[in-house]
Amino acid sequence: MEELDLKKIEKDFWKNWEKRKTWDEIRPGELRPTIPVTLTKEMIQKYARAIGDLNPLYFDEEYAKKTPLGGLIAPPSIHVMLMFACTPNDDWMREPGTINAGQSWFYNIPARPGDRIRLVCKALDRFIKKERLFVIHENVFYNQNDEVICSGRGWTIRPR
Amino acid sequence: MGTNFFGEITVGQVIEGRPMGITRETIREFAEASLDFNPLHLDSEYMAKQDFGKTMFKQVIAHGMTNFSLITRMMTDWLWPHGGIHRRLETRWLKPVYSGDTVYPKAIVSKKLKTEKGQWVLFNIEVRNQEDILVSNGEAMAEFPE
Repeated sequence: MEELDLKKIEKDFWKNWEKRKTWDEIRPGELRPTIPVTLTKEMIQKYARAIGDLNPLYFDEEYAKKTPLGGLIAPPSIHVMLMFACTPNDDWMREPGTINAGQSWFYNIPARPGDRIRLVCKALDRFIKKERLFVIHENVFYNQNDEVICSGRGWTIRPR
Repeated sequence: MGTNFFGEITVGQVIEGRPMGITRETIREFAEASLDFNPLHLDSEYMAKQDFGKTMFKQVIAHGMTNFSLITRMMTDWLWPHGGIHRRLETRWLKPVYSGDTVYPKAIVSKKLKTEKGQWVLFNIEVRNQEDILVSNGEAMAEFPE
């Protein structure tokens, strides 16, 4: 199975942008191709640092082991990174100019370092409001035991 | 411990999260950490000329998901030491956040209730900038296992 190599991830969202699905081409209900990812301590800690969250549950293994969680975990919002880690470069979420209008997420169990993360996602709806092109997408992240980590929905305004 | 804490929570109680100052550097760091390299957040030239429907931002904007993550940080900071679990967050982005802004997350307890198998606290969520302008709002839910 293909693995994510963070060093190879494409940072230029303009690359092959014209190949991504437009609002007209997005089919609600159709599954988006995804890539499973092994979540590492480094990925978790880089994310936590970027939001100024130095909670010892993400950084201090000895501390975390003594809590009911039994070991290091990721912050709930780790799905923000996993959304991009688990989708290929041609996924329409990367379209330059995609505006995030809203999100709703339910947290079931924490993600942990070493978890093999799998994303199942699709557009659920698309509509036009005040001449803006909206897509609602829904996402579920699973771990290697097929347990749900979190599930959520996003509202984006499409640039085309 | 969790049960007592739940009992003492009152409707209207305010939880203030730690503020965060947003700069080009924090936006870049969030892009690297979240893998969201949309030019909205990084490309000044693109943002100077790009028209988003009726809106022009004229400069790069912070990721909405930074605000989202600051809200979850506020929730976990407050909940975990007391045995509470951050179960849900729903947010809407109302205004852009720019480099130079400082954002202040806040949660206000709106309801407490028990279900057959759980104890729940609902919150109204606000994120305001340094001018007290509401940039995001939403709702959160926490569980206190008995």
